[in-house]
Order: sequence, then structure tokens, then C-alpha cells
Amino acid sequence: MADVVQRWEMPIRTEDDVILVRRKARMLAQERGFDAFATAALTTAASELGRNALVHGGGGGALIEHLADGTRSGIRITFVDRGPGIADMARVLAGGYSTARSLGLGLSGTRRLVEEFDIESAPGAGTKVVICKWTRY
Amino acid sequence: MNRAVPAPRSLSETLKFDARELNSRRTFFQLSDDDLARLKGLRPFAERHMDDVVEDFYRLILSHPEARRFFPDDETIRRVKRLQRDYFLQLFDGVCDLAYVENRLRVGAAHERIGMAPRWYIGAYRHYLAILLDRITADVPDPAEARASYQSMLRLVGFDMSLAIDAYIAANLDTLGRHQAAIRELSTPVIKVHDHILLLPLVGAIDSERAQQIMEAVLLRVIGEKARAIIIDIAGVPVVDTRVADHLLKTTAAVRLVGGKVILTGISAQVARTIVQLGVDISTMYTVAELSEGIELALGLVGKQISTGAT
Amino acid sequence: MSQRGNIPILRVGSNLLTTIHIDLHDTIAEAFQEDVLVAIKNTGAKGLVIDITGLEEVDTYVARILADTGRMAALMGAHTILVGMRAEVAATLVRMGFAMDTVETALDVDDGLAMLQARKALGRK
Ligand SMILES: Nc1ncnc2c1ncn2[C@@H]1O[C@H](COP(=O)(O)OP(=O)(O)O)[C@@H](O)[C@H]1O
Ligand SMILES: [Mg+2]
Repeated sequence: MADVVQRWEMPIRTEDDVILVRRKARMLAQERGFDAFATAALTTAASELGRNALVHGGGGGALIEHLADGTRSGIRITFVDRGPGIADMARVLAGGYSTARSLGLGLSGTRRLVEEFDIESAPGAGTKVVICKWTRY
Repeated sequence: MNRAVPAPRSLSETLKFDARELNSRRTFFQLSDDDLARLKGLRPFAERHMDDVVEDFYRLILSHPEARRFFPDDETIRRVKRLQRDYFLQLFDGVCDLAYVENRLRVGAAHERIGMAPRWYIGAYRHYLAILLDRITADVPDPAEARASYQSMLRLVGFDMSLAIDAYIAANLDTLGRHQAAIRELSTPVIKVHDHILLLPLVGAIDSERAQQIMEAVLLRVIGEKARAIIIDIAGVPVVDTRVADHLLKTTAAVRLVGGKVILTGISAQVARTIVQLGVDISTMYTVAELSEGIELALGLVGKQISTGAT
Repeated sequence: MSQRGNIPILRVGSNLLTTIHIDLHDTIAEAFQEDVLVAIKNTGAKGLVIDITGLEEVDTYVARILADTGRMAALMGAHTILVGMRAEVAATLVRMGFAMDTVETALDVDDGLAMLQARKALGRK
């Protein structure tokens, strides 16, 4: 089972906060031996979800955790906001749908970049997205 | 840009064995400074018995036919006995710091290299302790003192054993990782056929994991070689279904993003039929039946670019 | 050239060259788009090379800004070539489903500028 080795809580209130989360994820991924492709996948996912929490969710926070299961390192990031939530989850996850006239590929694309993806949201109750990625052998 | 090969690091670093871990490990093995001081006090005892202990130890080990296999000749046996004497004396140095840890970790890694599994040296450590118990009870008249001395040895030897096993596991994983990297390399043999032209003959089934490796390898090579075109020959791919076609399309799109072109060759009549019947749109790809035509097409693409670029 | 953002835009012959070397957050990306369009207007440039060798990650938001910039530039008569995309950035964008189909690409700045020259020689708009 995976242990949490270390954790960092970071606010997401401004664009700069989103960048800080992304940078922290990059630093950690590089330190933990993620290759360039895995690092880009993780940080891009963090960028998408951080921006969603800020733009669609009105701000919130991110929790970054460094995991270890004895042989591999993992990075888990949880994004939480107290915004309006997502009404039509199926449509959003299918991709290409956006209420902000943008591409609508953030959530559907992020899901393809990480090994674990979990989303909880209800109208009015905010949104929580958890992603996790592990080092390859 | 390339996935860098990490510089050789110490084993303690690789295993993230730092001062904190040393502390925690020593606490778990109840290995205190008193134990180390007691062991240091036993240094004369150790020097007195060093040669017999090592001889005794190897008598036991070499009498086991399977264990013997690790020591093929007299030269090897002489060498390991010498190492064993150093190892033995270090137990009575009264020091257990990060340098000591690094030294012990190397022992485990060395065992992995010769294929000696942990069961053998766990057994060997047991022999060791049995011999030490005999000698200490014979040498130290006060039973309480002998017992305390033996306890200290037990703690340090247990501590050593844990390090040897950690190192063995890490070395094993490392070997595994290197094998997998080698297999990956073999499964994407990108060849340079001409300036700015690469060729990747794909052989065997393509699942999504391999497809991702192919994409990554192709992109790195295209950038590394400044290739304008890469020919992917799929004559050796047994089944081309929607998924495989989709992977090829993705690779084509990614190569385009870094500024190169993909030419798909080796398309059999059957593959052509499947692609059309499945309704896969491959109109964005350059496709030809034969590899030779693919190379011609690639030369045309590169040549055209070079000549018009020069005007 | 006068600019809102802090990404330099250089003039190379009848073309513009811009190298993005900083983390693009939303405001900077939008300012960049604005600056590029103003520069095209002021110089009457017929070509634009956007060099993103320095970008370690490009999410769908930034990718869209870049693609849109190319389309807007086209409307103003300048052809855009995106150069220097890193392997891991390309792989990530394609996996996310945004392959930036509308933008022409090249390996590096030299190739990009050579392609613009070739277009000019062919007399294409
Ligand atoms: N944290 C969030 N809170 C509320 N709605 C969200 C959140 N994240 C995503 N959404 C909704 O899902 C849609 C799709 O999101 P995404 O895939 O990231 O694309 P985009 O951000 O381009 O719209 C958004 O337009 C928005 O309606
Ligand atoms: Mg989004």
C-alpha cells in the first residue's frame, strides 16, 4: 500500500497560484525520477485542473502529496473548490464541451494523462478532482 | 531533451538512506552508542579470533554443495576470506555512521551481481552468530557480560542484514528496469536512412503501452536527428485494427507538431481493406504500399524542401 | 517594438520572429497575442515564426491561444509557423486531443524562416 511521504497544501486564488502549483509538481516529479514525458503529463494536468478550479470554481486549493509504495514513487494532487459544481458530468468528461467558450478538453484530456483520475462534483457543492501518477520502471 | 542517464550515485543516496533513516533504523534494531562502545571494547577479542572465525565460517558454507557454487575456485575463496576478515573487524570499530551504511549496502549489491539470493546470506549470518556465540562464552568468564556482548553483536549484525537485503532489492529492481529499457529499445529500432530521414520498421503487436513508447521514441529521434520525415513500416504488424490505426494517427499528429512528417509504408491489401471498412480517416497521412516507394517519397519531401528553401 | 507583454518580437526581413521563453500564464498569453497582431499591423509582415523551444509545458489554454494567434495573423496577411515544440509537449497535446491542426510547424527557427522564404518565392500569399 502507498504511504504518504510528504504533503503540501497550496491555495488557488490567482493565476500565479496556478503556476506555483504547476512548478511544485514539476520540481517534485523531476526529483522523484519521472521522465520528461511523465513530468509534462503531470504538470499539464495540474495546469488544466488548477485553471478550472480558479476560472470555473472561483478559486480553491490544491493538495500535493508525494507517495511511495516501496518500489515506486507517486505524486497525487487534489484540487478542491467551493464553486458552482458540474451539472452535466457525462458531457464534460466526453470532451469538447465548455461553458466558457474554450476548448473543453481540460478534464477529458487530463484523464488520459494520468493513471488515476477521480472527480466528485454536485451542483452548488463545489468540485474535487484527484489525479495520481507513478514513476515507470 | 533526452531521458538522461543519471550520474552514478552512492547506494545510500539511491535508497534515500539519510541521517534520519539511519537514526530510525538504529532505533528499530535497538542499536545504541553503548552497544557500539561495548563492541569497540571487544576489538582485542576480535583480532585474536579473526582468522579462526573466518576459517570456521567458510568451512560451514563450502560444505554445502549449492552454496559452494558461488565460490568456483581457490582464488575466489582467498579473496572473499580477505573481505570477510575486514568485514568482521569493522563490526568492532565502534562506528555506525552513513559511511558504514554505504559500505554494508555495497555488500548486498555485490551479492545481487553474483546472483546470490538473500536466503544464502541470511543463513550465512546465522552461522556467523553461532560461531561468535561459542567464542564469546568461552572467552568472557562473566555470563552476564558475555550475554550483553552477544546482544550487541546481534543488534549490529541484524542491522547489517537489513541493509544487505535493502541493497539486494534495490539492485534487483534496477536490473529489471534496465532489462525493460533494453526491450523498449529493441521494440522501436529507429534507423537513420538518409540525412533528415528516419525509418522505423515495426514488428509485432501494438498495444497501447507500446504505442506510447513508439510515439515517445519517434519524437525524441525526430528532434534529435533533425529529421524532416520518418517512415513507419507496418508490414510486420500482424493486426491493424481501429486502435492501432488510431495510435498511428496520433503519432503522425505528434510528429507534425515537432515539425516532421510521417510516411506510412507496408500497407497490405488486407490492411487497406480493414482501414476503409472501419471508416478510419487516414487522409492526413502519407501512405504507400512499399517501403522503397516510401523512401523515394521521403527523399522527394526532403529534397523539395531543401531546394526551395535555398532559393 | 512597443509591447504590452514582455515577450520580444523581432523583425527578420519581411517576417517576424518571437521566442517564448517564460511560463505563459493567461494574462501574459493574451498580451502576447495582442502584441503580435499589433506588430503585424505596424510592420506589414508577411510571415511569423513562433519559437516555443523554451516551453516545458503547453496546456490546452495556451495551445489554443497560439493556434488562434496563427489564424488571426492569417486574416491580417501573415503566415504563421510554430517551431521548436518539445517532444513531451507534442505527446501531451496529442494525448489530450488537441493537435493544433490549423497551425503549420517546423523543427526549428531556421527551418521555419526557410519555409517562409520558400512561400514567398512561390508567390503564395
Ligand atoms: N472546477 C470546476 N467547477 C465548475 N465547473 C467546472 C469545473 N471544472 C470544469 N468545469 C466545467 O466543465 C467544463 C469543461 O471543462 P474543461 O474540460 O476543463 O474545459 P474548459 O475549461 O476549456 O471549458 C467547463 O467549461 C465547466 O463548465
Ligand atoms: Mg479547463
